[in-house]
Amino acid sequence: MSDPGPVRYPASPSAPAVAAQLPERRRTPGQPSDDTRLAVEIRELVERGHSNEARERFSGLVAAHQRRALRVAYQYLRDSADADEAVQDAFVKVFAHIGSYREAWPFEVWFTRILINGCLDRRKARLRRDRWFVPAEEASGTDEARRAFGGASDLDPEARLLARERRDRIDEAVSRLDGRQRTVFMLCHYGDCTPREVSVVTGLNESTVRVHLFRAARKLRGLLGGKP
Amino acid sequence: MIGRAHHLQDDRLFECYLAGLDGTAVDRLVAAHLAECAACAAHLRELVNFMNGLREEAEADTDAIFTPERLRIQQQQILHRLEHLGHAARVLSFPARLMGRRMAHTASRIAPRWAIAAAAAGLFVGVGVGTLIEQPRREAPAAIAPFPLVVSPALTAGDPLPAGDDDTFLSDLEMALSGPRNRELMPFDALTPRVQAVSNQFP
Repeated sequence: MSDPGPVRYPASPSAPAVAAQLPERRRTPGQPSDDTRLAVEIRELVERGHSNEARERFSGLVAAHQRRALRVAYQYLRDSADADEAVQDAFVKVFAHIGSYREAWPFEVWFTRILINGCLDRRKARLRRDRWFVPAEEASGTDEARRAFGGASDLDPEARLLARERRDRIDEAVSRLDGRQRTVFMLCHYGDCTPREVSVVTGLNESTVRVHLFRAARKLRGLLGGKP
Repeated sequence: MIGRAHHLQDDRLFECYLAGLDGTAVDRLVAAHLAECAACAAHLRELVNFMNGLREEAEADTDAIFTPERLRIQQQQILHRLEHLGHAARVLSFPARLMGRRMAHTASRIAPRWAIAAAAAGLFVGVGVGTLIEQPRREAPAAIAPFPLVVSPALTAGDPLPAGDDDTFLSDLEMALSGPRNRELMPFDALTPRVQAVSNQFP
């Protein structure tokens, strides 16, 4: 994993361009991440009774993981209010149980696991609710409006409409993935997790994660005609 | 893993993509092939573009909803919740409970005899004043009534109802029963014994 000897990408004229397009990863394999170290510090502060300082440090973790967490939660729940609450609950739960955190797990993996469990609980609760009550809209009108106009305010109406259609098409394609494929895909692509991290989060074998991911990507390419 | 046409298969290309995500190394043979084969390099580029496109769409989608302002508010809410973590939940003091507490506090200070005497005195005064007020009303009811009561002499107790009124009442009843809304009730009506039949049976 950490062997710098082998070539990462071939030295052909086209290969560096391919490598440059890949998303940058924050973590170095084998080394605890900054977040993990910070989480350990926070745990020690809490254990010593310095709650105020621990909270201040924790705000750094919140800021670092908030966007990623919201992305994951929103892709799971497809409702901004639910995603907001799920992320808040996950952070509060993490802080409340920071004493049980062990650095054997990277912080992001631990946090993501808590977040996803919370999201799954919410989905179950929503399904139960929808069984007995008139189901609400999947996404609120505000969400739809923001999706349509908020993110691409610099685009002309036609481009905005096309962007919205494209997103809807992707949502539909992702929703047609098998349960495990969808989870693995979401964690990898929306949660910035590596297959190894996904393996730890889901409890699946790493090679199984890779297979699910490959199949998910192949299916999505088929459904979307090779274009996102 | 390299196909018959000496091109990398999809799973191999995907492994290359994942290696880029992980920051791990690509197999030397595959790397060498990618360096030589423009078609495979193009396929890998296409795959990377596709996957990156999906990610960018999702990011744009989420960023449109969760604006920096909303993120800031959420951070504040999280920190606010953390400040109250571990504290006992605040119990709202409702007015009834507050009143009960006050009453209990007041009752403990007042001697029970005073309370009983005051209640009895209040009762006597109330009854006396009520009697005084009611006395003139009973003596002059016409003056108190807001409008004159008209009592029909035909409807006084003990007098039989006129036969014409009976006929009108029964015909109204029949009309009502024959209405479309009451057809469902007719079977129940048939089950009910008629006054005429009963009186004939038991003269």
